[in-house]
Amino acid sequence: MLETSMFSEIGLNHYLVLSALLFTIGMAGILLRRNLIVVLMSIELMLNAVNISFVAFSKYNMNSEGQVMVFFVMTIAAAEAAVGLAIIVSIFKRFKEVNIRFFEHLKG
Amino acid sequence: MSMDAVLFWFLSIVVIGAGLSVVLMSNPIYSALSLVMTMVGVAALFATLNAYFLAGVQLIVYTGAVMVLFVMVLMLFDLKRELQAFSRGKITGFFKIAGVGVLAGLLVGVITFTTQKTSLIAEGSPLAADIAAQAASGADNTKILSENLFLKNILGFELLGVLLLVIAIGVVALSRSKGGTHARD
Repeated sequence: MLETSMFSEIGLNHYLVLSALLFTIGMAGILLRRNLIVVLMSIELMLNAVNISFVAFSKYNMNSEGQVMVFFVMTIAAAEAAVGLAIIVSIFKRFKEVNIRFFEHLKG
Repeated sequence: MSMDAVLFWFLSIVVIGAGLSVVLMSNPIYSALSLVMTMVGVAALFATLNAYFLAGVQLIVYTGAVMVLFVMVLMLFDLKRELQAFSRGKITGFFKIAGVGVLAGLLVGVITFTTQKTSLIAEGSPLAADIAAQAASGADNTKILSENLFLKNILGFELLGVLLLVIAIGVVALSRSKGGTHARD
């Protein structure tokens, strides 16, 4: 009975677990990859995971604050992608490669 | 099995698979395409949660704007010769993967052990009846969202506009300065 209801009835927990898994995948990408663009993509993945849990809480609590927060997070994510890509382009102009190890030389 | 459940499992498989391939593909172009797939899946998940407006915004902002930006920057670079996609070091890599695994286990465990009820609102309460009525209509969600955004959170909305202006000017300044962060000449 427990098994069937777990698979056939979708609740808040399902969305939260999906969000947690997506978040950890993004975190693994940030830790493991060396390419700056892929690291930025992993950050987007983590932001999306958080958005899923915001919307799920918003639906199951019947409170639209969560969706407003998703709106804000999306705006910040777009701005963050723009700034990050600009920094990546300037690193590429200097070092001719987009590897995360060049962040060590960012000072001055 | 209801239609909702089938849709959720299909979308979650798509999202997790595409998310994994973002991390595991060694060619960044494939990573970008997988990220597009993930974003579309997330937008569909928003639609299953009755957040239709956010699903549309997700499609427009992420798969439209942000991914075009990513792919354009990728095309700007010559990325055929990526020698080392993953960080080297077997021991540190093992610790990284172990840390991620522990975090995933903790999150999933805490979620499944703490919130047993599917809904946080009690069954018989008047709010539950409201929810049932709301779920039936569904289209009202956008109206509620806009009322909340423009009446209660109007200050945050305006500040976001200011922030976007600052970011736009900053990005233009950053990319126009010669040599970027490393001005040599």
